[in-house]
Amino acid sequence: MNSELFENLRLELRRGCLILAVLAELRTEHYGYALRKALADRGMAIDENTLYPLLRRLESQGLLASQWREEDKRNKRFYRLSSDGEIILKQLLDEWNAINSSVTRIIEGEPIAEELSI
Amino acid sequence: MELVDRYLYAVRSGLPKGQQDDIIAELGEDIRSEIEDLETGLGRPVNEAEVVEILKQRGHPAKVAGRYLPQQYLIGPALYPIYRLVLKIVVLWALVPVFVFVVGPIAIATVVHPTRALIKTLWDLAMSSVFTIGVVTVVFAIMERYPVDAKPFEKWDPRKLPRVPKTPPDSRRTPRATAIAELAASLVISSLFVAWFRTTFDFADVRITLTPIWRSLYWPFLLVLLSGIPKGWVSLMWPERTRLRFSIRLAINAVTLVLVAVLLNAGSWVDITAPGLPAAGIAEAVKWTNFGVKISLIIFAVFAVIDGIPDARRIFRKKPSWNYSIAT
Repeated sequence: MNSELFENLRLELRRGCLILAVLAELRTEHYGYALRKALADRGMAIDENTLYPLLRRLESQGLLASQWREEDKRNKRFYRLSSDGEIILKQLLDEWNAINSSVTRIIEGEPIAEELSI
Repeated sequence: MELVDRYLYAVRSGLPKGQQDDIIAELGEDIRSEIEDLETGLGRPVNEAEVVEILKQRGHPAKVAGRYLPQQYLIGPALYPIYRLVLKIVVLWALVPVFVFVVGPIAIATVVHPTRALIKTLWDLAMSSVFTIGVVTVVFAIMERYPVDAKPFEKWDPRKLPRVPKTPPDSRRTPRATAIAELAASLVISSLFVAWFRTTFDFADVRITLTPIWRSLYWPFLLVLLSGIPKGWVSLMWPERTRLRFSIRLAINAVTLVLVAVLLNAGSWVDITAPGLPAAGIAEAVKWTNFGVKISLIIFAVFAVIDGIPDARRIFRKKPSWNYSIAT
């Protein structure tokens, strides 16, 4: 029960982070498999059944652009961040940093501003 | 690579039309890249078992294809609790009681083969439940796909919310309309009971006779039915006298329980005579009809107890305090 609960909560926590990681990684152009490897190498492993539908969704939302191109005699689909994606990524990173520092303050039990002024 | 092609072909069949070629090309490329990576690591071509392992790790083709579909569920998490509640109300609180207390007893009491009638009733209940669940599910699935206009929930003004009443709303009070309906129902049911009470029922060649215990309990039953009149009258004229109303209801339930106990004690409630039918069949019909009546009486008693417990609690509990001010 506990491991199942943990797994559900972990997936919930990861869901938003994955989008951020994919968008950030695609500041540099990648094709699907290379993107998967790059994310895994940085400690953010993502299975293909999650990544490819996510890439399609982000592209349909205008955050990514893609094109089929030949590389090493094979056709591969390359993705990169679109101009809209860059704006959204910046906003998301600001939000991420704000959430991260808030959660850190909460975890460390840092006194809130009003308490300090008293 | 034949296995990979077969795998991709199987995935393709579950993909949304119009995107199949694109998705399969990308997925195929991903699998080939993974195989190439593995071959580089091993320093040799992969064998069939290794390809099988790679494909199995990716999951069943239907599961993989399912990830590309636009909607993963028929009824989403927002509607699901309401869906469950509606199903519970319709099936457990409406269909089952109607079949157990109305359709079933009538079917069993009016046929020669009560066992068959019981089975048919259960079958009809199952079929009605399946049909109802199906209809409710379809309605909710449509609501999920075509959400209702959410504007009324977005455009609202706290100043237009109703004022908090100065006196506490007594949830135990019976609304006026309910009190009138209660009064009318009691009058109608009592009248019907007086006009239609009989102890023999003739159906073609079959005669169903109620045992003498019913006749001897005629007046007590009539009194219980008539007691709904003073209860309805109290609810109508003195709605604030909730304790009196609950006391009357508790007394009615207590008397009902005593009557049911007397009836149960009798052991036999129905007799059947059918000159054209074999004696063994009639005996079986009598046995099962009496069994049905017994079960009904027990359920009736259980409901009387369930109904009486909250009344008893309401009679003795304190009135709730009334304070909605955020200032205190």
